[in-house]
Amino acid sequence: MKSTIYIQCLLLVCGLYLTSCDNKLDEDAELRSYQNDIDYASEAGAYGALVGAYETFQNVGWEQIPLIAVRGDDVNAGGLGDQQGFADTDNYTYDNNFWMYNSLWENWFQDITQITSQIEQLELYRDGGVNSSLIDQYIAEAKTLRGFITLELSRVFGDVYRIESTDQSEITVETKDDLMQWISDQMDEAIPNLVNLHPNQRTDIPGGITKYTALTIKAMANLELGNYQAVADATGEVISSQKFELYDDYYQLFKIPGKLCNENILEIQYSDFGQSSGDNVAHLFAFYGPQNWTAAVPEATSGWGFFEPSTKYIKFMLDRGETIRLETSVLFTDRGIADIQTDANYATLPDFVTNTTRDGDIINDYSRAMFTSGKHYLPSIQLTEGRTDYGTNKNYTVIRYAEVLLMYAEALTRGASGTAGSADDALNMIRTRANMGTLSGVTSDDVMDEKFAELAMEWGIRYYDMIRLGETSELSYDGRTFTMDKAYLPYPLEQLDISPILDEYNNQNN
Amino acid sequence: MRNTLLAILLFLFQIAIYAQDGVMVQGTVTDSAGQPLPGASVVVQGTTTGTQTDFDGNFTLDNVPSDGILSISYLGFVTQEIGVDGSSTISIALSEDAQALDEVVVVGYGTQKKSDLTSSIVSVDTESMEKVPTGQLMQAVQGKAAGVQISSQGSPGESPEIIIRGVNSVYGDSNPLFVVDGVFFDSIDFLNASEIESLSILKDASAAAIYGVEASNGVILITTKGGKFNRNASISYTGYTGVQTAQNVLQMANSEQFVNFALESGSDSEIASVNSAMQRFGRSRINPNVPNVNTDWYDEVLRKAMTQNHDISINGGSENIAYSVGGNFFYQDGILDMNNSYERFNLRTKLDIKANDWLKVGGSIVYSNATKYDDEASAWQLAYFAVPILPVYDYLYTEADPLPYSDAKEIGYRGSQNPFPLMDNSDLNSKIRRTVANFYADFQLIPEQLNFKTSLSYNHAGTTGRSVKLPYYVTDDYQRSVDESSITRSQVTNESYVLDNVLTYQNTFDDHDLTLMGGMSYRDNYNSYFGTTGYFDPSGAFVRDKEQTWYIENTSTDSQTSYDGGSQSYWFSYFGRAAYKYKNKYLAYATYRAEGTNKYDETYVYLPAFGLGWVLSEESFMKDVSFIDYFKLRGGWGRLANGSVPASDGGVGSSTVQTVFNDQYYTGTQFETISDNISWEFTEETNIGISAKFLDSRLSLEADYFIKDTKDMVIPLSPLVGTEVSYQNVGSVRNKGIELAIGYNGKIGKDFGYSINANFSKLENEVTDLYTQPYIERGSAEFRQMIIKGQPIDVFYGYDIEGVYQTQAEIDADPVAQSAIAGGTNISPGYFKYKDVDGSGELDADDRVYLGAPVPDYFYGGSINLNYKNWDFSTSFYGQGGNVILNRNRAEVIWTTGRNVDAELAKNRWTGEGSTNAFPSSEGYRQSWNQKLSNFFLQEGDFFRIQNIQLAYTLKNDKLPEIRFSLTADRPFLWTKGYNGFNPEVGFDGIDSQTYPIPSTYSFGMSIKI
Repeated sequence: MKSTIYIQCLLLVCGLYLTSCDNKLDEDAELRSYQNDIDYASEAGAYGALVGAYETFQNVGWEQIPLIAVRGDDVNAGGLGDQQGFADTDNYTYDNNFWMYNSLWENWFQDITQITSQIEQLELYRDGGVNSSLIDQYIAEAKTLRGFITLELSRVFGDVYRIESTDQSEITVETKDDLMQWISDQMDEAIPNLVNLHPNQRTDIPGGITKYTALTIKAMANLELGNYQAVADATGEVISSQKFELYDDYYQLFKIPGKLCNENILEIQYSDFGQSSGDNVAHLFAFYGPQNWTAAVPEATSGWGFFEPSTKYIKFMLDRGETIRLETSVLFTDRGIADIQTDANYATLPDFVTNTTRDGDIINDYSRAMFTSGKHYLPSIQLTEGRTDYGTNKNYTVIRYAEVLLMYAEALTRGASGTAGSADDALNMIRTRANMGTLSGVTSDDVMDEKFAELAMEWGIRYYDMIRLGETSELSYDGRTFTMDKAYLPYPLEQLDISPILDEYNNQNN
Repeated sequence: MRNTLLAILLFLFQIAIYAQDGVMVQGTVTDSAGQPLPGASVVVQGTTTGTQTDFDGNFTLDNVPSDGILSISYLGFVTQEIGVDGSSTISIALSEDAQALDEVVVVGYGTQKKSDLTSSIVSVDTESMEKVPTGQLMQAVQGKAAGVQISSQGSPGESPEIIIRGVNSVYGDSNPLFVVDGVFFDSIDFLNASEIESLSILKDASAAAIYGVEASNGVILITTKGGKFNRNASISYTGYTGVQTAQNVLQMANSEQFVNFALESGSDSEIASVNSAMQRFGRSRINPNVPNVNTDWYDEVLRKAMTQNHDISINGGSENIAYSVGGNFFYQDGILDMNNSYERFNLRTKLDIKANDWLKVGGSIVYSNATKYDDEASAWQLAYFAVPILPVYDYLYTEADPLPYSDAKEIGYRGSQNPFPLMDNSDLNSKIRRTVANFYADFQLIPEQLNFKTSLSYNHAGTTGRSVKLPYYVTDDYQRSVDESSITRSQVTNESYVLDNVLTYQNTFDDHDLTLMGGMSYRDNYNSYFGTTGYFDPSGAFVRDKEQTWYIENTSTDSQTSYDGGSQSYWFSYFGRAAYKYKNKYLAYATYRAEGTNKYDETYVYLPAFGLGWVLSEESFMKDVSFIDYFKLRGGWGRLANGSVPASDGGVGSSTVQTVFNDQYYTGTQFETISDNISWEFTEETNIGISAKFLDSRLSLEADYFIKDTKDMVIPLSPLVGTEVSYQNVGSVRNKGIELAIGYNGKIGKDFGYSINANFSKLENEVTDLYTQPYIERGSAEFRQMIIKGQPIDVFYGYDIEGVYQTQAEIDADPVAQSAIAGGTNISPGYFKYKDVDGSGELDADDRVYLGAPVPDYFYGGSINLNYKNWDFSTSFYGQGGNVILNRNRAEVIWTTGRNVDAELAKNRWTGEGSTNAFPSSEGYRQSWNQKLSNFFLQEGDFFRIQNIQLAYTLKNDKLPEIRFSLTADRPFLWTKGYNGFNPEVGFDGIDSQTYPIPSTYSFGMSIKI
């Protein structure tokens, strides 16, 4: 049959046509971004991935740090009639359904996951041919950021996730001790790959992570573990590098002049770019600010009044005869001053205890609190002209050299040996800057008192020191009763709902 | 007449040549009514001698042995054998095959006898569809097929929503696939019921799987009208014209009811507004405490609207060519009183040509041209909200242009409320053009056994949109200025090619019947959309009343925004089908499709399906059961894949971020922490069923039970850690149900015939797995819906009302009320008493319960047809229920308290102890305590509706063509159970807020056949 020949030809033609069609299944779809569009050979691309990790770290919610810090005996919640859960937390009454707990957990673990994703991508840049030692450095920086966040979360919640991969099935819940050891090990991995500079000497990422940031975080982790020799070794190396010094003016340290100064080891950086309007990357310092003030620059707005230095701290400082550090740490209202003075021992107060700051801002009485944190205060005259938000353009200080010196001193007083001078030397550097007389033969208690005076209102350092040392009596103040079972916040309810592994861990251990 | 002459001439000619050989037989084949059957086959049994009847049913056969037997067969009729017995003239009247089981059903890439089916396929009678005066074909299918849920649309030109056997995707769509003459469509809004020849619905997976990845929600196969070989030209006209009117219009509170309600609200501003209305518009003479205005806003926005349809069709065929050409015009005005209409004209041609004895070629072209003016949807909501004490026009505004619309702000309300400024100043036009072309060649490789068909189809659809918001002016505070008036022009293009190559083999060996089919298909879908919006330039050439100036050209350049996007996908498939039948008793069926696309990373999917059937009535032990004529058990299983979920980005997505170092911006990149990993959703379905005929085949029964499990359903997944939600194939949902369809045909005497059909479907939808997640929140925070294990998809979630607090003492005694009052909530008599589900003594999130699902879980339909001599009468009905409807118009008091309420609420409001235990007081209605999502705002969706009533008379007269006159009332009566809105068909989302009502249509129709 002639027709069969035609048909065979036709089938052949169709076959050829269809075979050519089959290739179309490999075509990219329209308007989709593909991983292979990323140029993994680009050094600039790898740098972008690193900046992405920093962005995550620097992008912090206003509620996160206050929740970390509020439980210490240095600070109270203020905030009457609003954010009851925050006030309850300050009083060691915990509600796992309070939104701030979930927010802290969710956002910071997201940051950790994000940084981990950046690390995984940096490995792809290495595979793509970007200088391997540069990739090592970038990954080390990202690991340091991840270590710091994990350390803070573990201080708050105790046993939490360890995340080393974006593969969610590899996430585990680890004990706090194991996490601290892991952070220390991570820092050991990072340190050899990091640059040997003061962060403010870096030109590629000014204020970024250097070897000394990682050493400090290693020391913080080991302090939690009670490995005092490791603390002394790490802090000793920072001190011996001579790249850091205490900033002369304790008052200005926390203000615009202190941005990227030689004392700061890690800052969350903000800026209004010196412009009166337009872009402004800012932290919401208003949360800490006084609810009512008469600012030297009248347009400057006041704050919310949620973060109140405790009367215990103020009296402690007055007892020690502190000047610059008390003036810097606490803003007084008339109501607050009167309240202090009701105690006959404090009827007479130094001149700097007034409701007017040295820069002329008058703190008026307000309902939420009697005192305002001075370390989160920016004098209105330091605002860029045209900017009015409370504290805008100020950086958020994370780790200071003063803390390194105090960790070193504590480690030595607890039996470690150090090569960067004596405990007395370290402590007296701090005291001298604060216009306090020098001490000799300092004890651990002296160091802890000095830490209280120097680092109050900063990141709950005081609270976590007391937890670490089991000092429940210090935390039982102003009518509160603290027991060690209150040391950690409960896991947020929402997280127990969405995470079977956390739920299971919680059921087994709590 | 000429044909008859020709036949006689031929006859004479044949006699002259072949008179010597055997017997020559001539005759006529007719149906039982005496109508000639052209194209019937007449074969001398045991030989290859045979012929077909001509246009008039005549045949002539030579050389017939005088003791031979003629076998006369015709599709749909019982084959008859008749002995020649030496006679030269034989007239045969074939009786219609009462079983009608040999009806041929269109299945995937071929046809099958209905009696051979093992899967669940339903054919919808196109004649009954033509009785429904609608431009939307699928609207006419509602209630006619078990298992097929259709939610009508009132808006002209809108396609109804369709769900076949339940919702099985959250992220993808649930639309069935339409296959029109081999081309794939997601909507068939371009076809009229009068243009189609057959419509069959492949409901279960074993039937649909051969259509591959677009078939996971079922397939609706449509063949457009075609000609037939050896058929006289049939010229027919069908048309109707009718008027539509809104049905069950929602009664709103009138001015008096509204004022009473407002005065009891306890709200000073409400009372002040009533007073300002009396100041501005005067006092009613009947009740001087009511303003002299009583606007029924629904009455104002609604109108009676025309609809008409005209269809001309010419079909026929010669020995080698069959043709069909036709045209259709449909027009429908919307019942919303604005520029709201739909107009469509279609042209179609279909041709089949026997090129030679081994090649058949053909093609079809459908061109559709539609123009639609959309409704201003917010008008439906505004008509509910607008207070009756506001007139439509307020002539105190003397500067107004074009019309002095009234303004509710003038009498103290927050918004202007009046829907007319929006309606009168919106022009929402789209022009939809579609061309579908199809060409094929069918090669007979071995006659009657092996053929190869190759076909190429092309579809082009272009929608040109132009949405204009025109300016108006009432006062400086109440206007849309020229530079706030906008135009959006858009262009959407869809293009697809399908190339199919199918090889089919069929043969019969003794008791074995076998069909094998194998094929390849290539498909190419292209879509692009582009649009620009601009605001008119007050200093430009734009003129409100001059449509010629409505162009982007006349907008200010800096106001213009554009979008542009598209998609291109390629699909490539291999498929096959095997059907085997033994002794007409045992049936086996299997299909397989491998389909690949560039859409997902996983290129190919493999979709098997099979079915088995057992015709019990063919067994000897059943032969004695006289009342059973036919009884078949059938079952099937199939696997489907849903390719409608959007593809995930290839690999890891990234975004650009900025951060600050040393007072400078630095730019970086962040990568996704969890990438979406989306691929096919798979559904596996098992179907078992019965097909049976009883009582001389007058009673028919189809029953089906199915379980359909969708695994790998794409759901949003919260990670264990972090905030980045990803979409993954980790959910599961199960749909199971039963479907029943029965029909009875009867005749009383010679002239009276009747038929009754009914069907019922019950469906259960249940989420069976959400991976690690306890639930997925849907809807909005105020109107919460959930996807949660053990419940249907999108179940409403809120509080259960126990009643209404009648006295203060009751409030004082209720700890739930007390704890709420302690928390600062105001609770008074006339407020709702909610059920404290967890017994905690306070009302909190844990007291919420499941309040019902949006998709009906049962539905039924039926029809009665009667004919007596030249008269025929038919009626059909439809009902559904088991769902709830969120009366969002009533519930949106949560955002705006200064507004009207429906009459039911106004009349039944709580007015004092004992007045009602179901409605809040006027004051309570405005208080947040009573505005929580509760069963007060969710109403039962059950309804029953008379779908269609038609009375017709057919004029049969030898001198005139056949003319049929009909009077039709479509969707004339509706009964609802709990729902108080005017359209219980709010769509499958279950939310009534801007729903276009379904009108009743009363029409007169005429059809003429020559």
